[in-house]
Amino acid sequence: MTSETPLWEFVDISKAYPGVLANDKVCIKLMPGSIHGLLGENGCGKSTMIKTLSGVQQPDSGKILHNGTEVTISDPQAARDNGIATVFQEFSIVPTLSVGENIFLGNMPRSRLGVINWKKVHDDAARVLAEMDVDVSPNAITGTLSVGEQQLVEIAKAIAMDARMIILDEPTAALGEEEIERLHQLLRNMRSRGTAILYVSHRLDEVERIVDEVTILRNGRVVRASGETEINVSDIVSAMVGEDIGEHYPKEHNASDDVVLEAQGLVTEFGVTDASFTLHKGEVLGLGGVLGSGRTEIARALFGTDELSAGQILLSGKPVRFRREIDAIRAGLALVPENRKYDGLFFNFRASGNITAASLGGLNRFGVLNLKAEAQATHDLIRDLEISTQAEEKTVNFLSGGNQQKIVIARWLFSQSDILILDEPTQGIDIGAKIAVYKLINKLTRAGKSIILISSDHDELLAMSDRIAVVQHGAIKRTVKASDLNHDDLVRASADALHTKPEEAFA
Amino acid sequence: MKRVFDTQLIGPFAAMVIVALIVALTTDRFLNPGNLSNLSLQVSIVALIAIGSTIVIFAAGIDLSSGSMVALLTMILAQMLKFMGIPLVLALPLILLVGGLLGLLIGLITAYGRIPSFITTLAALIAFRGLALTFNNGSPIFSLDPALEPIFYGKLLGVPLPFFYLVFFYALAAFTMNFTKLGREIYAVGGNPAAAVLTGINVRKVQTTTFVIAGFMTAVGAILMSARLNSGSPNYGQTLELQAIAAAVVGGASLAGGRGNILATLMGAMTIVIVQNGLNLNAAPSSVQNIVLGLIILLAVGIDMWRAEISGLMGRVFGRKSSAKKVK
Repeated sequence: MTSETPLWEFVDISKAYPGVLANDKVCIKLMPGSIHGLLGENGCGKSTMIKTLSGVQQPDSGKILHNGTEVTISDPQAARDNGIATVFQEFSIVPTLSVGENIFLGNMPRSRLGVINWKKVHDDAARVLAEMDVDVSPNAITGTLSVGEQQLVEIAKAIAMDARMIILDEPTAALGEEEIERLHQLLRNMRSRGTAILYVSHRLDEVERIVDEVTILRNGRVVRASGETEINVSDIVSAMVGEDIGEHYPKEHNASDDVVLEAQGLVTEFGVTDASFTLHKGEVLGLGGVLGSGRTEIARALFGTDELSAGQILLSGKPVRFRREIDAIRAGLALVPENRKYDGLFFNFRASGNITAASLGGLNRFGVLNLKAEAQATHDLIRDLEISTQAEEKTVNFLSGGNQQKIVIARWLFSQSDILILDEPTQGIDIGAKIAVYKLINKLTRAGKSIILISSDHDELLAMSDRIAVVQHGAIKRTVKASDLNHDDLVRASADALHTKPEEAFA
Repeated sequence: MKRVFDTQLIGPFAAMVIVALIVALTTDRFLNPGNLSNLSLQVSIVALIAIGSTIVIFAAGIDLSSGSMVALLTMILAQMLKFMGIPLVLALPLILLVGGLLGLLIGLITAYGRIPSFITTLAALIAFRGLALTFNNGSPIFSLDPALEPIFYGKLLGVPLPFFYLVFFYALAAFTMNFTKLGREIYAVGGNPAAAVLTGINVRKVQTTTFVIAGFMTAVGAILMSARLNSGSPNYGQTLELQAIAAAVVGGASLAGGRGNILATLMGAMTIVIVQNGLNLNAAPSSVQNIVLGLIILLAVGIDMWRAEISGLMGRVFGRKSSAKKVK
């Protein structure tokens, strides 16, 4: 692109962990004023590179050049001193502190006596937030903000330190469409000011929109250096996976005319204002909408977690009432929650304990659990879903995100549920695992099971759903055939919901 | 059986054996049959109470109330036997019932009142001790019933009865934790309560049940305490709750919940009692005993926390090459 000196350059960086060579002679040039996408499947060595660049660990061999001069980034403080800011995937904000305190955490402006200058903290934080066009008070307690806003605070930390190099690791995993757009605008502004940006994401559709160049890693090696790949999803995917994967979205149509579930005017006190829809046998019904539009809340209402204050649910035409989750589970419903780490998995259990947790009653024989049957069923599901066989012996915290997600889904196969609600089932898992989840969806619908799919990845939602219900402000506005919608329709339909608010403010 | 005797037992078992070896080598009386049978008497009360404490910890709770509850229950038992004329065969099941009910009360307040168990059981720790003092003007009650003492001092085939209580209750607890729905649900609630809710587990009911079990086991301990001294006293059981928790921790139970093996708690209790016994045999003052007990707890948790570092250090010391080199 340009012949100027890279701001940062990796030359033949290698790093080994016990049993695996995580980075094998990796080279990358990070240019000022450029957004550089770093892509690859889970375990390809992206995180290792980020850790090396942010001073969390030292490479075994190779050189790091800063403006052409060799440097050592001995620890995270050294990285900060060199103008490198890292926004890690796992939040590093303190929920009980204010937004301003979080932005300047570890770097509080102080008076000569060592007392924190609160006015400066407040003013500087307000300036950074205004610059980012984020409408959050510096005094707000961070834990009370939405996940998306918390993520923006995280990014504000990086901006406040005037970083010349910003590393973003999956920055949009928790953001809605509107917030992603805002973040991208922010990144473009920073780029025009000459900041170098390293952008890591599994959401290839947004990568396509934002990055200037990409480097693709596989098994610790650079398989495509900057400029060697066209920046479009299909080229990137085949480079990442290392083979032609064929159809990215292998959709099968298995919907029949039988209505298995009907929701009539559902209302809850927790954000569902008016939800009516039908679900057919073998169908995938997508719920489209922005983060916070009420999709997850509709799932909670169906699953008996939130009490209905109006409306009713019919299963195969018969009204049912779920007082709690177990009632829904017994009636054949299943919920794969949005955040498998928070409320999906038992990290103290191996695959078996996780898979049978929702149907221990079925293993109960005269008050004793049939552990043999449990082991056999686990073994079969691990084989059928192509889960890593390590899952039989190790607790699930040792597994990759894709394997973990399959285990949560396997739980509901074991319980023989007929209606599965999948809330963001492919969030944070790599492309190979995503395709495995899509194939699993096909397999389920082929077997006559029905699926309610919630996804913020519009392409995925459009491709994998038979019909899509558009959710705004907790209400289902309309339900249409997925083939009658395109990406822009969905973005616009989702965005309409958000645009009504500012209009009111202007009126 | 693989599940019951798993690798989690190796560490606590090794610790127990090492401690026993040290004591056996430094004193000549440790291995006397008299001393060994005395050991099983000594460990019995704390080890039985520790079953309940450990199960509460498995569900990510904590029970600080057991020591005071022992005092309260010995006073209620003494009151029933001495002043109310209730026969022993009736009084004993009543005490077990009262223990279970007190546990139920704590459990309900904790689980349904959404108050952390640290607070509810701390309140119970203080209140039960006070309640114990309301009986007999706060004075101990002695010489309860001649039939009471054999419960603790009796022998079967030359083996002290408390040994059989230990075997029975630990076998029952290990069975429950490893082979029943309840046991699995306790581990699930301790491992991730939010996930437990979404898999249809009645989290509050499970939490409450752990406190009922703890109350019941505390009552078993209180009966043995009364039998041992043929009396009831508002001063019994001081710091017993901490010894029971220490047994669980030395046995490797995670205070964060969800992880641990109930049989390891027995080994933890044994380790603690063997150390106390060794110090006694070497005529160490009680101040030293407490200091050593404190250090053991630190060491047990420390070894667990630093496991990765320790194995790394071992690897370096014994020159094991990191397998990463082979990949290269």
